[in-house]
Amino acid sequence: MSLAKALTFVELELRRLRHDPTEVFTRAVQPILWIGVFGTVMARVRAIPTGSVDYLTFITPGVLMQSSSFIAMAYGIMLVWERESGILKKVLTLPLSRLTVVLGRSLAGAARALTQLFVILLVAVPLGAKLDLSPIALALAMLALLVGAAGLTALSILLATFMKTRERFMGILQAITMPLFFASNAIYPIEMMPAPLQAFSRVNPLTYVIQALRDALVYSNPVACLQSIAEIALFSLTLVALATLLLGRIVE
Amino acid sequence: MSDSFAVRAENLVKVYEGTVRALDGVTLSVEEGELRAIVGPNGAGKTTLMRILTTQIKPTSGDAWVLGHHVVREAGKVRGAIGYVPQEFSVWNDLTGYENLLVYAKLYGIPRDRRKRVVEEMLEFMELKEAANRLVRTYSGGMIRRLELAIALMVKPRVLFLDEPTIGLDPRARALVWSRVLEYKKEYGATVVFNTHYMDEAERYSEVVTMMNRGRIVAEGEPGDLAKAVGEGDLVSLSLEGDTAKALDALSRVPELAVVSAKNPVLVRVENAQRQLPYLMEALMGNGVRVKEVGIRRPTLEDVFVKLTGMTVEEAEALGFRGAAAMRRAIRRGG
Repeated sequence: MSLAKALTFVELELRRLRHDPTEVFTRAVQPILWIGVFGTVMARVRAIPTGSVDYLTFITPGVLMQSSSFIAMAYGIMLVWERESGILKKVLTLPLSRLTVVLGRSLAGAARALTQLFVILLVAVPLGAKLDLSPIALALAMLALLVGAAGLTALSILLATFMKTRERFMGILQAITMPLFFASNAIYPIEMMPAPLQAFSRVNPLTYVIQALRDALVYSNPVACLQSIAEIALFSLTLVALATLLLGRIVE
Repeated sequence: MSDSFAVRAENLVKVYEGTVRALDGVTLSVEEGELRAIVGPNGAGKTTLMRILTTQIKPTSGDAWVLGHHVVREAGKVRGAIGYVPQEFSVWNDLTGYENLLVYAKLYGIPRDRRKRVVEEMLEFMELKEAANRLVRTYSGGMIRRLELAIALMVKPRVLFLDEPTIGLDPRARALVWSRVLEYKKEYGATVVFNTHYMDEAERYSEVVTMMNRGRIVAEGEPGDLAKAVGEGDLVSLSLEGDTAKALDALSRVPELAVVSAKNPVLVRVENAQRQLPYLMEALMGNGVRVKEVGIRRPTLEDVFVKLTGMTVEEAEALGFRGAAAMRRAIRRGG
């Protein structure tokens, strides 16, 4: 495994984003609606108990993770496409371990997802979300997002090894991302959910990333945040390992 | 015994999804510095063979070595020693040519202090300097191929694998790609193995030809020697009006003549066409056969294929179509 080579995949992604940054903005439309419309309206209704913080502030980390998770989970489409072209064949003949390929691409997907942090802060703060924007809070939020999105990208790569067409991949993506979002603590506290859903949300990786983001940006609690990040890291490493084992499937 | 060859394969078998037999016992040896063509119709198993040799997929059974390294057990060492250009495009078209080279240089692990020089050198060698900062999306097919070659040659590989390197290119672009490959081979003494279904290209550029059909090797040798398998002399093709039976009957009485293909147009081999053609025509006309068109040529690899398999390359592709389609589906699904 070579970290320098893995980071080259991140560089590749950033170069592509520089040539064509449309995704950053098109992906921003949904979160703007969630925060700007849903968030401001629900805040007035006061139907959801969010403790000491107002509703808009409460959902900002949730919406941030939703937007980031969509980008990370969609990354596998790129692999399906690269499989149809010759890129993946070529990459597998380079002097790189499969772990380097999977880790590199997972971080690349995470780098794409990380763009949402800046987009959503730009939307939420002017609308009145009260967030901790100190360097430590921002650094912790970035770390949580990076580790979480890398795991979700690895999950997406794993799915790509099973879904050999883009259509099938898009289908399964829809079936996974929305339930993960709704069955998490993104837009309401999990204590409000019926018991079975609560149980699911406790194994939902999104819940932990969102908790970490809240600890960093809303509650200014770095210790709790790091604890959640450690839990997320476990999930992400497991998925990177699984995707590495199954990467060979994609080219057979 | 595997050490002295650039590429060595022993009894390679690849079965996709337990049913499609893409390779059916392939054994071959390529010497260092050799320029080897692997020819055959689509679906013959050429790409599967190359994908095993370049460590992308594992054989179902059998062994293969590249520069003495086993392609499964020592895949890492093989990857460090080869260059490879797949049949499909393998560059990111939303990056510039320069960026593609730079990213691949880093993935190859070319050290920072040499990276820039290597990239510049390859852009120059492949005549891509002016287009270097344009997005690959704007490149022509020939430029993309040269960019891919530049990427493959950055590390000066001792063995270069090219899968259908000139497919879909116009004659000028084909010639330019070949001039670069040949120059690299000359300068570095590298081994080049390329797949092609253009028989004329194999004949023109390769030193040794391996001919495949339906997962097996059907012939191997220098292009000139292989052509002799059809026989010494000239080939005469006779485009006939109506039934070939009367013509074949007449031809059977002509001395020093062998029928290569009995289907219309009938293909026969004679020692010397200039001398024998008048007798041949006399015999045909005497038997009441009407000849629409006569062609005289030297035997080509296509003729060798016809002689060995009893069908033309097009017929083999049409016949193998169901098999090839099933294989492509299997490859897509993964098995």
